[in-house]
Amino acid sequence: MLAPALAVVLFLFGGGLSLALVQSWGYVPGVGWGEGGAYWAVLTAPAFGRSLLLTLWIAGVSTTVSAVLAVGLALLLRRPMRGKRFITALFQFNLPIPHLVGGIGILFLVTQSGFLARIGHYFGLIEVPADFPALVYDPWGIGIILEYVWKSTIFMGVIVLATLQTVGEDYEAVAQNLGANRWQRFRYVILPLIWPGLLSSSILVFAFTFGAFEVPLLLGSRYPSALPVLAYRLYTDVDLGARPEAMALSIIIAVIMGLLIAVYMRVTRGIR
Amino acid sequence: MKKIFLLMLMLLLVACGGGEETPVDEADGADGGGVEVTEGGAETGTETESGDDMGGARPQPDQIEVAPEGAAAPPQYEGQTWDDILAEANGQTVNFYMWGGSDLINSWITGYVADDIKRQYGVELNMVPISDATEYINKVLGEKEAGQDEDGSIDLVWVNGENFRTMRQADLLYGNWSQFLPSSAYVNWDDPSVANDFGFPVDGYEAPYGKAQFVMIYDTARVAEPPADIAALIEWIKANPGQFAYPAPPDFTGSAFMRHICYHAAGGYESMLGEFDQAVFEANAAACWALLNEIEPFLWREGATYPESRTQMQDLFANGEVSFDMAYNPAEASSLVENGRYPQTTRTFVFEEGTIANTHYVAIPYNSGSKAGAMVVANFLLSPDAQMSKAQPANWGDLPVVDPALLPLAWQALFDTIPRGTATLPTEELAAHRLPELQAPWLTAFEQGWVENVLEQ
Repeated sequence: MLAPALAVVLFLFGGGLSLALVQSWGYVPGVGWGEGGAYWAVLTAPAFGRSLLLTLWIAGVSTTVSAVLAVGLALLLRRPMRGKRFITALFQFNLPIPHLVGGIGILFLVTQSGFLARIGHYFGLIEVPADFPALVYDPWGIGIILEYVWKSTIFMGVIVLATLQTVGEDYEAVAQNLGANRWQRFRYVILPLIWPGLLSSSILVFAFTFGAFEVPLLLGSRYPSALPVLAYRLYTDVDLGARPEAMALSIIIAVIMGLLIAVYMRVTRGIR
Repeated sequence: MKKIFLLMLMLLLVACGGGEETPVDEADGADGGGVEVTEGGAETGTETESGDDMGGARPQPDQIEVAPEGAAAPPQYEGQTWDDILAEANGQTVNFYMWGGSDLINSWITGYVADDIKRQYGVELNMVPISDATEYINKVLGEKEAGQDEDGSIDLVWVNGENFRTMRQADLLYGNWSQFLPSSAYVNWDDPSVANDFGFPVDGYEAPYGKAQFVMIYDTARVAEPPADIAALIEWIKANPGQFAYPAPPDFTGSAFMRHICYHAAGGYESMLGEFDQAVFEANAAACWALLNEIEPFLWREGATYPESRTQMQDLFANGEVSFDMAYNPAEASSLVENGRYPQTTRTFVFEEGTIANTHYVAIPYNSGSKAGAMVVANFLLSPDAQMSKAQPANWGDLPVVDPALLPLAWQALFDTIPRGTATLPTEELAAHRLPELQAPWLTAFEQGWVENVLEQ
């Protein structure tokens, strides 16, 4: 039954991947075999190291901040309260919004001549655009992280909330009877219960933000740029000789993401 | 992707709407869309009319519809006449891949050009906007690699400079055809800046489309007196930190700005004309990087980052984050003022030592399935009517590439009446301040050098 779907995936995905592999070894369509050595060239370029660090930084910070906020939000939302249904709906509304739209929203909001800057100017807090802190096109990728946190917090929060609601409050009640305080109940009861879901969704978010392209392109600085953006620039380089390097970099990104998926499978298998 | 999809949807709607109205090659003025002009047709006979969106009636002299004398028919059309090509083109769809970053240019193409081509020649024009020429180069390359040597997805591309050279070298272009176009009779092929595209011979593989010249844009309300030359600009940048930026090369406009600085740092462009010379490049480039790194701390965001594109640069200028903008089109500022995007006080200037000028072209990929249609479109774009419409600031404001001296007298008079936008410099002032482009390898070397020596430092 799986065969047709698998065939499509293998053909399209595997086909593209193997073409990229061939090209990364120096084959340029329309030109022929080049010198090779693209992997070495990519790995030793100074831009690669800085881009890798930036990409890890963005993915790491986005994931950590999202995870913390997601747990907090889920803990708040699981309690019975008035208008809970409405708040939960509000909580989830950004799930179907594409990252690109989110990125443009962030851009309008926090660029130095954006909405917040204009409000600041109206109240006399800032005089010229440069007075507003540089949150987009900045070396720390703050705008990118903001966008990912905005989006991923909800994604992870939904997963954590689902776990919390299946578990119920019985374990906590028992722990409270046994004299556990708030922190102890969180640390020794809730956290172990939500940990598997939190961990696996964190790996997913990390892998996604590591390989995503559109938000860093939109909100990132020109240099250093995230790895997928760097690959895109090499791919669109007017010099066709840069093509093998673009492919080599794409393969490197694919390998890193493949490793993350392996870790993910391992983690989830270990739990069940 | 979304934008492309929407545009295609719009085109489809336009195409459907237009299709119902007029059978092709019918009488003039049947189309309900534009302001139709039907005068003077009595003497001239076969009149070709255009839906003219400049408002008001204007006389419309005759246009030639035969190939120039002595021009050889293009490959695959040996022994045929222009009429045969017109006949074959009727009913074809031409996918025109072009830079889509200007709403003004886009609507000129999807409006005036598409409508007229459809009505006059029965050719459907499907504009596909892209952000960088490498996108279509990659596409044609991919098709060649996949063995799709016929019926490729691209029929016409807007191209020049290093991209033309790349496509020629990878054998991705059809040719030669452009000197067979009836309208090519109006082109002065003896002008080296037309016969050579960034120093690379055109050889009939692309048809001229327009001319462009680099200008600096400023707002008189912010900067009363613009710097006269590059030395003065550098002084200004240092005296006003954070208020100047240029798009990061290889962005087209940013790359052109960088070349001005490099011409200046090298003490002139003369040593770099002709074939690429590594030794000369290294000597000149070192001075250029030194100068660009010297001004970097005084740029927008202290040069820690650069605007990604010209579009972002426009936003910075319009929002008042920077005091200067720049464009490789002398009339663009006027158009932006007319659109209300830039303040009324916006003006342009050129450096005393001059600014870089070039010619842009259209070319046909080797595997196009609608070569006849593509040639008809290219011919139309080069026709006096289209060149004139294109020169109107409200439409685009691109400099005509046809030589007015080669036009019939009636057209010459019309070309003299082209209005100039408020922010545009007089043609004579532009013409008196023209610098040549370098050959493509120089450009690539400067662009790569900039990334390594300025951006990544």
